[in-house]
Amino acid sequence: MICKVEKIIQETPDVRTYRLKFKDDSLTDKFDWMPGQFVEFSLLGSGECTFCIASSATRKGTFDCSIKRAGIVTADIHRDLEEGDEVGIRGPYGNWFPVEELKGKNLLFVGGGIGLAPLRSLIQYAIDNRADFADFTILYGARTSADICYKEEVEEWKNNKSLKVVLTIDKPEDTWKEHVGVVPKILEEVVKPVIENTKVITCGPPIMIKYTLMSLDKLGFNPTDVITTLEMKMQCGLGKCGRCNIGSTYVCKDGPVFTYEELSKLPDEF
Amino acid sequence: MNLTTYSTDPAGLQSFYEAIISAHDTYAPVEKFGKYDFIKVDALSSCNPDSPIPKTMSVKPLFFPKSARVMKYKATSEGTELSDTEGDPLAGKRVVLGVKHCDARGLQVLDAVYKWDYVDTDYEKRRENTILISTRCNEASTHCFCTSLDYDVEKLDAFDVAVINGLDGKIYLQARTEKGEFFLKENANGLTVANGSAQEEMKQQFEKFAGSFRLKMDYSEINEKMKGRFDSAVFEDIPANCVSCNTCAFVCPTCHCFKISDEKLKDEGVRYKSYDSCNNVYFTLMAGGHNPRPVKYRRWRQRAMHKFVYYKERFDMNLCVGCGKCTISCPVNISIFEVVNRVASSMQE
Amino acid sequence: MDYTKQIQDIAGRLFSENKIDVFIGYRNTGFDENQVPVLINQYKDVDQLLFTDKSVFNLANYLKYEHTRNKRVGLVVKGCDSRALNLMLTEKQVKRENLYVVGIACKGVVDETGEMAQNCIECVMPDAVIFDEMLGTPSGRREYQENADVRELDGKTLTERQEYFEEVFESCIRCNACRHSCPLCYCAKCCIDQETATLFQGANTTSSAFHALMTWSLHLAGRCVDCRNCEKACPSHLPLHLLHKQNEKVIYGNFQEHLAGMIEEDRGAFYKYSLSDPDDFIM
Repeated sequence: MICKVEKIIQETPDVRTYRLKFKDDSLTDKFDWMPGQFVEFSLLGSGECTFCIASSATRKGTFDCSIKRAGIVTADIHRDLEEGDEVGIRGPYGNWFPVEELKGKNLLFVGGGIGLAPLRSLIQYAIDNRADFADFTILYGARTSADICYKEEVEEWKNNKSLKVVLTIDKPEDTWKEHVGVVPKILEEVVKPVIENTKVITCGPPIMIKYTLMSLDKLGFNPTDVITTLEMKMQCGLGKCGRCNIGSTYVCKDGPVFTYEELSKLPDEF
Repeated sequence: MNLTTYSTDPAGLQSFYEAIISAHDTYAPVEKFGKYDFIKVDALSSCNPDSPIPKTMSVKPLFFPKSARVMKYKATSEGTELSDTEGDPLAGKRVVLGVKHCDARGLQVLDAVYKWDYVDTDYEKRRENTILISTRCNEASTHCFCTSLDYDVEKLDAFDVAVINGLDGKIYLQARTEKGEFFLKENANGLTVANGSAQEEMKQQFEKFAGSFRLKMDYSEINEKMKGRFDSAVFEDIPANCVSCNTCAFVCPTCHCFKISDEKLKDEGVRYKSYDSCNNVYFTLMAGGHNPRPVKYRRWRQRAMHKFVYYKERFDMNLCVGCGKCTISCPVNISIFEVVNRVASSMQE
Repeated sequence: MDYTKQIQDIAGRLFSENKIDVFIGYRNTGFDENQVPVLINQYKDVDQLLFTDKSVFNLANYLKYEHTRNKRVGLVVKGCDSRALNLMLTEKQVKRENLYVVGIACKGVVDETGEMAQNCIECVMPDAVIFDEMLGTPSGRREYQENADVRELDGKTLTERQEYFEEVFESCIRCNACRHSCPLCYCAKCCIDQETATLFQGANTTSSAFHALMTWSLHLAGRCVDCRNCEKACPSHLPLHLLHKQNEKVIYGNFQEHLAGMIEEDRGAFYKYSLSDPDDFIM
């Protein structure tokens, strides 16, 4: 399926969001996805990469992929892809955040860096169905203030009275007025989440996830109430190529969304 | 449906083969650089359906080639056009001669992964359009251990037609599937329907074959024992002499991991699907630099555990058919049989 | 040729004197008559070691893996292996002081048919050229002979040669066993690994095999020591020696009869300059 790049937003020095629209309008209605699913994104000639859909299907018409410049294909995407260009999209693939289960619960989002992208899909979904959920907290950390993704949208969230937004950066900066410190620390010292009836959704760099899970454990969260989404090298997205195997689990079919409890049962290979 | 067994003699088998080759697109083991590849043939003289087991490569490339086109694209002034690649050379109706037991079973194992959830249509079409005719496995070679695995070699239904030696120079052709039954009926010129002693003779032949195996193991015990060995120290020790090439996976009849890559020339390009292997250090390396299996023993552990634990859990089969091809092809002669046995027998920590 | 006893004694002595951390040798596979390289870490395992005319694999290859990095290593080298080792030393891949080299005065190893291997028949230096200890009686350097297969190929027309090599490259499955088995292919990022390749893209096509194998053989031109690890490793049994022997022949003829790794501190033919190098191809 061919998509046109409608808009490119420079989020941070090395992250750009590509807003995509189907070239064939009839596909726009057919293409439906749930928060947490991913697509295979092709820059034809360079190759294919896996990206989560960073927007919610409740905001139809277009969808977003936020891409950090990291490897060969992503470098080509940043260099070559311009507004109006066409890319290939396959998907949506994978499982999604258990939206039904989350209904009526307090939601606590814990995101770091580009890890906000998959959460953003669910956050948008939850904002658009605000009545379905109880308390709503977003804890988002980045290395520096420049590394914060979706700056405008984060501002919107801050102004939205029905959400609580906590921002943090790793090291102090002169103009920074929010919190300073790594995510797990802020989680314990500032957010102090209620455990009762709360589901935690987290995504970020591996090291952040590791310590966040430890903090959540310390705070007394039940592993079944902690949901995360995994990154794993993938190529087909169809449960064939064998790359994303962790034990007998195919991350592309059985994941990428797992609870902490499910993760702890897998072999330690991610 | 009743499956028929036909009887013939060596000369009759030769003319059966010849008739098939002249009437159908036929693939058979052809000697190339001292080993046998499954290649399209036009005369029986250029191939050997009874090629020696250790020197014969797997039949896998006829269904899952080392590199296949999956898509084409073209950038024009109106935008990008995508198209399926036309003319898959492996999709037509064809017959394969001289397939080994292990190889045929390998295809059944591949079926499980290619047909769960999303069905790989290219693969399915190649499978559907192919008649598999077995070789006569009379004696196990040094590295064979197919009888140790979880399928019945004697009743293997992965073949459409099995060719089995009987007594006194008799040869039996037995249909094993409906497809094979129809095929044999159509091509039964010069064959007679076998008499009552055929089953008995084939059974004897099988027992002789089963008795010739040097390598034996109890797969269910191995499966069970390996489950708890993820953290076994043996994994760190075993692959010390592995050179980290991809040979074992590429020659394996059951290994099915692949990679997707694009090749472009100006405004046009092709997307390929090619073999890849978990022994490759880049296999799980992600763009951000994180690699869950950066060292050799972790990759080996994935390989061994995937074959004997994970695949078993997922699809209820071992991802190994006991053909010994990996051992034969390994640059340093590492034996998977030895590895899994060592892992399984290592002390529980 | 059987140095089993001597090698076991040497390895045992080195372990008991705590001179090495790991010893690289050969052991029986236990399944057939072939041998498998083995890395031994402790004294009690030395009785696995053996050395006969089936000890084929060039063990210098193991000096590039994590199991031997920054460790004190003992290893067994035949003539060709020792030439590879010489180059690895020159190219600063290993430190001499970390090695204890058991040299073999080699009488030739056998191929899979049990006959003496072709490279052993044509071998110019059967004795180890670098060693701390020598086993057997050295037989000295031999006359360089042109490879029979290369000569035969030279006799064919260009079209015939092209057809032949097209078949070779078509049979290549791109498993990279050749490069991984080569002791001199130690680059952390190799130009023929599809994932890091910049010359061609990742598919396992015939053209990628052509590019990969040609590029690879040129990187080994003037460095290849003809141990034929690559050829023995190839699951498709491709005649890879044709590429290397052709290069060797051209270099031997044009660069003062240079043969790789024959002397210590030898630099590959392409790394050194001499006034007598041919320059008639320069305009």
